[in-house]
Amino acid sequence: MTAVAVTGLGVVSPFGAGVKAYWDGLAAGVCAIRPVTGIDADGFRCRIAAEVPDGVGGSARRSRADRLALAAAREALDDAGLARRERADAALVVGAVGGGMREAEAWYWERHRRPIRSTRALRAIFPSSHAEVVGSVLGLGGPRETVVAACSSGAAALALAADLVADGAAPLALAGGVDALTRICFMGFNALKLLDPEPCRPFDRDRRGMSVGEGAAFVVLERADRARARGARIWAELAGHGVTTDAYHVTAPHPEGEGMARAMRAALAAAGVGPGAVGYVNAHGTATLQNDRIEARAIRAVFGEGRLLVSSTKSMIGHTMAAAGALEAVATVLALAHELVPPTANLRVPDPAVAFDCVPRVAREAAVELAISNSFGFGGQNVTLCFRRP
Amino acid sequence: MRRVAVTGVGVLGGAVAGGSDAVRAFLARAPGGAAPRAVVRAAGRSTAEASGEMPRAVPAATLSALIDEGEARRLSRACQLSVGAARLALADAGLGPGRDLGLVVGTEFGDLRSTIEFVNGYLRRGPGGLSPLLFPNTVMNTMAAAAAIAVTARELSLTLNAPTVAGELAVARATALVRAGRAPAVLAGGMDQLDPVLLEALAELGGGDARAEGAGFVVLETLDAARARGARVLGEIAGAAWRALPARPYGVGRRPAASGAIAAALADARVAPGEVGSVQLSAAGDVLRDRWEQALVEAALGAHRPRTAALGPVVGRHSGLVALAVAAAAADAGAAGAPALVHAVARGGSEVCLVVTGP
Repeated sequence: MTAVAVTGLGVVSPFGAGVKAYWDGLAAGVCAIRPVTGIDADGFRCRIAAEVPDGVGGSARRSRADRLALAAAREALDDAGLARRERADAALVVGAVGGGMREAEAWYWERHRRPIRSTRALRAIFPSSHAEVVGSVLGLGGPRETVVAACSSGAAALALAADLVADGAAPLALAGGVDALTRICFMGFNALKLLDPEPCRPFDRDRRGMSVGEGAAFVVLERADRARARGARIWAELAGHGVTTDAYHVTAPHPEGEGMARAMRAALAAAGVGPGAVGYVNAHGTATLQNDRIEARAIRAVFGEGRLLVSSTKSMIGHTMAAAGALEAVATVLALAHELVPPTANLRVPDPAVAFDCVPRVAREAAVELAISNSFGFGGQNVTLCFRRP
Repeated sequence: MRRVAVTGVGVLGGAVAGGSDAVRAFLARAPGGAAPRAVVRAAGRSTAEASGEMPRAVPAATLSALIDEGEARRLSRACQLSVGAARLALADAGLGPGRDLGLVVGTEFGDLRSTIEFVNGYLRRGPGGLSPLLFPNTVMNTMAAAAAIAVTARELSLTLNAPTVAGELAVARATALVRAGRAPAVLAGGMDQLDPVLLEALAELGGGDARAEGAGFVVLETLDAARARGARVLGEIAGAAWRALPARPYGVGRRPAASGAIAAALADARVAPGEVGSVQLSAAGDVLRDRWEQALVEAALGAHRPRTAALGPVVGRHSGLVALAVAAAAADAGAAGAPALVHAVARGGSEVCLVVTGP
């Protein structure tokens, strides 16, 4: 695979706007999961989530998700030091699920009570809206895609964008994921009884489910030689990726984590490294009974037991759905850059079935050279991204 | 660079359902013959739609022949359409289900009907009215998941969302995957279904397109692999590109803008504009967008004026229509001995172009 460099990072997270706020929160092991304020949680077993604090900015005429995306995308392009003219051929790949559903829901709820003529709230309903807004406002004229791969959407976007850069379809790409908290998501995971009423505890013996969240993250990807030639700061190299499908069940992962392991192996193969080279796994780590157990099984199948550091940053920012894969990719890149592995917050009693050091509660100093970020989703969608310290 | 062959077509719509034989027969009897020249100028609406002849829904008997009873109970209609079309395409390619198969599904609307049913449960009965079975369908990749399970596609599975161009984008992305050796064979196409709430949304987003429900896929694999297994080659995707055009979100661009996708796809296929024999357009009745597309194509091809056609006004647009367009383009290219383009452009500025050659 042609070397693809990460030269820009942008984040809006439950810690607020900006990469710095995000990393400060992760490094300190702060849990941003709190009582829900943005939607009505009455009558539900779980009433907490990791919401982006007020002050996201942007036009109120845009959906919340579009505004989150725009803020994170702007920061990533600025961080990469790309002027507007340099973006004209840039690709844009956005991982999305909810689109502007939050505003569409409000419209539909209101229409349930009284007749409404205006359908303006439906304008940004589909996930592709984010790419249209970001691409148009920021002047990105290269290939444009919106990928929906459930909870692995953000990671899938980075994988697709890396392919575009490696194949020469675009000189650089802006790629990421975004999701605003929606009623449908909150209600749906409640209905599936997959939400913990308390902040989630990935890899804990007593975990009771996930916490939902929201946010956006984008990265700028470009050929490493091009990045070096223009003197750009290289955060990390996206050394390889693996994208697989379980083809097993619409919601449940394969019980042996076969597709997950295949994605991890494919990412390592693309990076040209063996399992022994990897020092850190940013796990999908949702804190559901099933996911954590099966993911641990898959990690063990690929890496063996012991040495590896494995943590779940969802313990701090919740499961941000389509944004998760991108936010966790950024966390992985920052862990390499800062030589600090973010912790698994709220982890008190490690699950004996998880045979790894899950970095409980406190970040760990570690000069890791190679790290992977796992993202898995409904539909048996598995994506692993492999990052190398430059 | 690997050459990408089209070895199977599966189309499931109200107007036509089946593999390449059914598609060939449909194209032969459709208005305009083998390449229906639908009316895509100012008014945009075809004679067939205007007279109410266009069947918008897939007949129940057609669908039930492709879906078993368990699937009919378990899967939403959107998933059933996707599974049915995927099976038709694989059978047409003479491929059985297999783990070395990738899947790229384009969709404009996803399974919006299931989303609405899910929400209605809450609005009627509160939290107790929520169906855990419906919730997964609210995520757009549910059709790809159902199809991947049905045909055992264990390579990558992608769902691409875009207005108008989703199916074409899926085929373009799948072409890139096969060419780069990232997947040995890929089912690529799309699916859309209609819903009353959706039609309200479309009115806001700029409507006018003739629409129908349907799904369609093509099977793409390397030409070498197709020949090695003795597969029938319907055509090749010789070039594929997708780009963004300057346009406001949900709007159309100014006419003078140059098409990036057509130029890139032609360069990719090493085809000069003057060599293009015909063009399948995405035009379907959205007057502003259809005029924009025509201007883009004309500007990209210079003084050369190949035949243009659009299937949308004839059978109704949906993201699976790309399978029919690729089949028509391959047939055209084969008959004329000249490459054909499949082109699509969306409000908001997404543009896709495929260069299709004959067998």
